[in-house]
Amino acid sequence: MVENDIFKALADPTRRAIFEKLAAGGMNASALREGLAISQPAMSQHLSVLRGAGLVREERQGRFVRYEVDPQGLTAIAQWLAKYRAYWPRRIEALRGLLKEMDQ
Amino acid sequence: MSADEAEGAPEPLVLDYRLDAPPEKVWRAISMPGLREAWLPGADLADPEPIVLAPGEALRYRMREDEPPFRKSAVTFRISADEAGGTRLNVIHERARPGGRTIMAANSNAPPLLRAA
Repeated sequence: MVENDIFKALADPTRRAIFEKLAAGGMNASALREGLAISQPAMSQHLSVLRGAGLVREERQGRFVRYEVDPQGLTAIAQWLAKYRAYWPRRIEALRGLLKEMDQ
Repeated sequence: MSADEAEGAPEPLVLDYRLDAPPEKVWRAISMPGLREAWLPGADLADPEPIVLAPGEALRYRMREDEPPFRKSAVTFRISADEAGGTRLNVIHERARPGGRTIMAANSNAPPLLRAA
């Protein structure tokens, strides 16, 4: 999975809305369109981009396709945040140390 | 405090710190390469020279990881005096936009990404 694809996929406000809706629970494309002013072909296109980025996966259920958030796709984002949530406090502690040593 | 530049990026990391030193001193520590190196190593930066957004108030470093996947990002430091003679430091860390371009103008009022899962 290419991480840039994830950020590109989520940079679009409509796709972000779709993704956030799916984050609350999986559903099929027509249920997904409810409340969103978006045509069926446009929805297919957005879902295709989200799927391509590894953020959403589909599961065929009889005549319908159910879409849901793919937890693996979120891993890259979570890893980035986790890394730097730990990184900055250490850096800032080092900055505090430096400020103590510096002359006024 | 403003997080204008963060808009449009998927989910910037925003952190606030209080430092027990006046803003002028903090500015030197974050802007002068010799001092910056003591707490923010150049190995983590794509460019050791800061981009000064507002002298004495805000600057930005472009960052690049020194190991795979070599992710690019940009960190903005904003400083201001606090009531006690110290400094408030606001850290906004954003991933690079696709294509490697880092965040300049914001043109989106999109809500921040929901924390899913």
